[in-house]
Amino acid sequence: MNDFILIMQKRLKFLMVLFSLLIIVLIFRLAFVQFVNGSDITDKAYALWSRNIPVEGQRGIIYDRNGKPIVNNKLSPSVALIPRQIENKEEVASFLSDVLEVSYEEAYKHVSKHVSVELIKPEGRKLSLEQAKRIIDKNYRGVYLVGDTTRNYLYNDYLAHVLGFVGIDNQGITGIEYIYDDYLMGNSGSSKYFTDAKGNALSQLYGLYEAPTKGMDIYLTIDMDIQILLERVLENTNARYNPDQILGLAMNPKNGEILAMASYPSYNPTEYQKYDQEIYNRNLPIWMSYEPGSTFKIVTYSAGIEEGVFELDEHFYDPGYTIVDGTRIKDWKAGGHGDQTFLEVIQNSCNPGFMEIGRRLGAENLFKYIDLYGFGKKTGIDLLGESKGIVFDLEDVGPVELATSSFGQGNSVTPIQLVTAVSAAINGGILYQPYVLKEIRMPITNDLIYEKKKNAVRRVISEETSDVMRYALESVVAKGTGRNAFIDGYRVGGKTGTAQKAVDGVYLDNNYIVSFIGAAPMNDPQIVVYVAIDNPKNTIQYGGVVAAPIVKEILQEALPILGIPKQADQIEKELRWGWDTKYYTVPNLIGLKRKELPPVYYYKYEFFGEGNVVKYQSPRPGEKVTEGGTILIYLSRE
Amino acid sequence: MKQEKQMNILLFVTTILLTLIGVIMVYSASQIWAEFKFNDRYYYLWRQLIFASIGLLGMYIISKIDYQIYKKNASFIFLVGLGLLIMVLLPGIGIVRGGARSWIGIGTFSIQPSEFMKIACIMLVSKYLSDYYHDMKKIKYVLLLLCVLLLVFGLVMLQPDFGTGMVIVATVIVMLFVSGVDLSYFLYLILAGLGGITLLIISAPYRLQRIFAYLDPWSDPLGAGFQIIQSLYAIAPGGLFGVGFGNSIQKYFYLPEPQTDFIFAIIIEELGFIGGVAILILYTTFLITSLQISYKAKDLFGKFLALGITLTIFIQFFINIGVVIGLLPVTGITLPFLSYGGSSLTVTLLGVGIILNISKYQNDDEV
Repeated sequence: MNDFILIMQKRLKFLMVLFSLLIIVLIFRLAFVQFVNGSDITDKAYALWSRNIPVEGQRGIIYDRNGKPIVNNKLSPSVALIPRQIENKEEVASFLSDVLEVSYEEAYKHVSKHVSVELIKPEGRKLSLEQAKRIIDKNYRGVYLVGDTTRNYLYNDYLAHVLGFVGIDNQGITGIEYIYDDYLMGNSGSSKYFTDAKGNALSQLYGLYEAPTKGMDIYLTIDMDIQILLERVLENTNARYNPDQILGLAMNPKNGEILAMASYPSYNPTEYQKYDQEIYNRNLPIWMSYEPGSTFKIVTYSAGIEEGVFELDEHFYDPGYTIVDGTRIKDWKAGGHGDQTFLEVIQNSCNPGFMEIGRRLGAENLFKYIDLYGFGKKTGIDLLGESKGIVFDLEDVGPVELATSSFGQGNSVTPIQLVTAVSAAINGGILYQPYVLKEIRMPITNDLIYEKKKNAVRRVISEETSDVMRYALESVVAKGTGRNAFIDGYRVGGKTGTAQKAVDGVYLDNNYIVSFIGAAPMNDPQIVVYVAIDNPKNTIQYGGVVAAPIVKEILQEALPILGIPKQADQIEKELRWGWDTKYYTVPNLIGLKRKELPPVYYYKYEFFGEGNVVKYQSPRPGEKVTEGGTILIYLSRE
Repeated sequence: MKQEKQMNILLFVTTILLTLIGVIMVYSASQIWAEFKFNDRYYYLWRQLIFASIGLLGMYIISKIDYQIYKKNASFIFLVGLGLLIMVLLPGIGIVRGGARSWIGIGTFSIQPSEFMKIACIMLVSKYLSDYYHDMKKIKYVLLLLCVLLLVFGLVMLQPDFGTGMVIVATVIVMLFVSGVDLSYFLYLILAGLGGITLLIISAPYRLQRIFAYLDPWSDPLGAGFQIIQSLYAIAPGGLFGVGFGNSIQKYFYLPEPQTDFIFAIIIEELGFIGGVAILILYTTFLITSLQISYKAKDLFGKFLALGITLTIFIQFFINIGVVIGLLPVTGITLPFLSYGGSSLTVTLLGVGIILNISKYQNDDEV
């Protein structure tokens, strides 16, 4: 019996040890769960207990070069639902369907969804203040407002094509908003609080507020004062000429900074959905490409000077046409300009003169400069939707193509290419890449994150040639076809352009893109302005008539904005009436009935008095009226 | 009979401490659900207080009753237990809760016959082993005992109450081990046990899922892994010192019925690792003390009876905590002393009463 008892006692002692060991195992396992896996499991537990109401990060502000805000944000709350907390689902659903203008079924689906936090998209986003107030007034449990923001385009449709717009989640869709979205975007935060498994708020743990971060601010090269000026001038132009399209562009020729960029038709970024995709996707100053016409002669002229194929005081006789390869290519002025110097060739925009320069250069040389000036390639401006234009392949250039290319036909270019090329011609000869982004800065602290520096692409012509170009272009405005851009006290230089529009290889009649490119002051150019008007109505379609006064108006106001003082030593305007202004002999209209008056195209009638018969006219019969001028007609009953 | 001594004070004190901790923690763990279900946050507290009072009173009374009475009536008690186990299976008598027909109702209270059967079984086995311990080397005697055990296990599994069935089987097998049965038999037993478990799993595949769930609860977070995940979500945030008494978050409807099987998770959440280990030390003190009582028992029946009762408490304790901390698969076994539940608490305390009585007739041999 003792043996049996001994075994039992031994095995009991063994059990004591076993119990102790097993309990130690429990303690180790507990420690493992709490301290080794602990933080991971704890994180998951907190995630289970917490409800996050997302709070969107504020987008960065877009400023102009002088720190004027162009785009900022305005508060517009969104609705967040915590379905489990909503007691009377039918009542809340009908309330929400009323306030948010969604169907009851839709609202009911949202309030009874088995999720921790439910957002109603898009109806529950970006509420009006009135909607928000109604929700606050009702104060239903489980229906909350969260701070959201919408983009606020302070100047509505101004600069719209450059700025672009954002979608419902404040994500950039096009323009600067899209290109620099990564910088502008804020990180969203959340309002976090803890609930039991049924969704009721718990008091044990304080709710956390994870603040959303603001996106970075962007400073553009745009000068908003000049932009507003440009937009207003284009608006007026649109009202006056009702053209198909208008575009305008102002750039600092010394570094490629875009000062203003606008086009018509435009759109309002806040309600971009209301516009055709073609309107907001086509930023005309970089998208449109067309045969530029005479503005392109600057390229030919500078190439000729650089290559030394003519002298400014060298004489050239223009019979009114040039025969190239058996084809007679006419000058724009019937009868031609006769004998003139090559300086007068550019002043008069004489086509045969430019064909002569092109012939002397030869195709290879001319196209070398076309290429150096950057035509046929994108400028690489930091905007979406740039075109590269079309330039003849050198092997396709025969004498006719060389001749037309010389005065701006045949090659198609974009406005931005033309502006950067002309800038190079007058800034000392260096082609700069154009750009819109100037700086990126941190919000609040304003610390500089990134600063865009001017990017010199290449030297195109020598400084000496550029000096000559400045003189030549100033004289175009003082003495030539650019006369309508002359400003007393400012040394303005420029070149007109009247481009024929080719559709399917055929030039349209009476449908031109009239343009003017101007710069000032010509001793040290600070701004280049280009305006092009596509098919202006109620006017003769000449760049010098339509576009030059517009550029003049822009320069006249933009130069003081840039702080550029007037100068005394400009090239004096020559009052050579009859030389570059067209006159028409006025027919005898006296005694004619109003209905019998001949139709007029180059000037207009203005009527005074009552009646049907012309009693008196001014100017008198046989006198002259200027192009675009008015004949005053006094009517009487007899 | 031998001279009656003072009962073991250490066992008595640890029992009362554990029971009181149980009442308090049942209150903390249950108040949210109680408020929700009965609109009375003290609902479970009052009931547990009543169970504890009845149990402690019963324990004190039982500790006065000479345990030899159980040896004389062991067979009768066992037959009553068997009768109850059969009764509970009858529809109309047995009450179904949580998918198992395990309760017999008496008034507003109800009892679990299988809880009663644990004690009855231990008494019968103790009597059998103390009478036939010298024959236990013969396979016949072992098999006879195992046949009775199989009958009980089978009846319990018909409810089904896998947890209690397992506790009874494991208790008897360890008692056989202590009685001196040849170790080689246990090899067969283990093989047979493995075979049995395999059969059980095949007959009810949800058990297999439960087993795998504890290995990777996140593989089925809303199904088999749900309870373990919710338990771990209570334990891990508890940290070293806990979130403080009453401050558990998991009891806010995340952990289903936190006052029963998963009360230890809430204890860890509120009282931390320190509180948990303190309670484990209390259990260790209790268990080692009662094994010492078995060791020093005057006769073999007392030795096996004390051992058997200690074993049921240890096995339930170990399995319950093992489940809560993700060491073992979910089985549905309550934590002795701490979990809410009348049958479980009172039967445990009555069992302790028996051990206390045995402690009065001890040898003074060194352990």
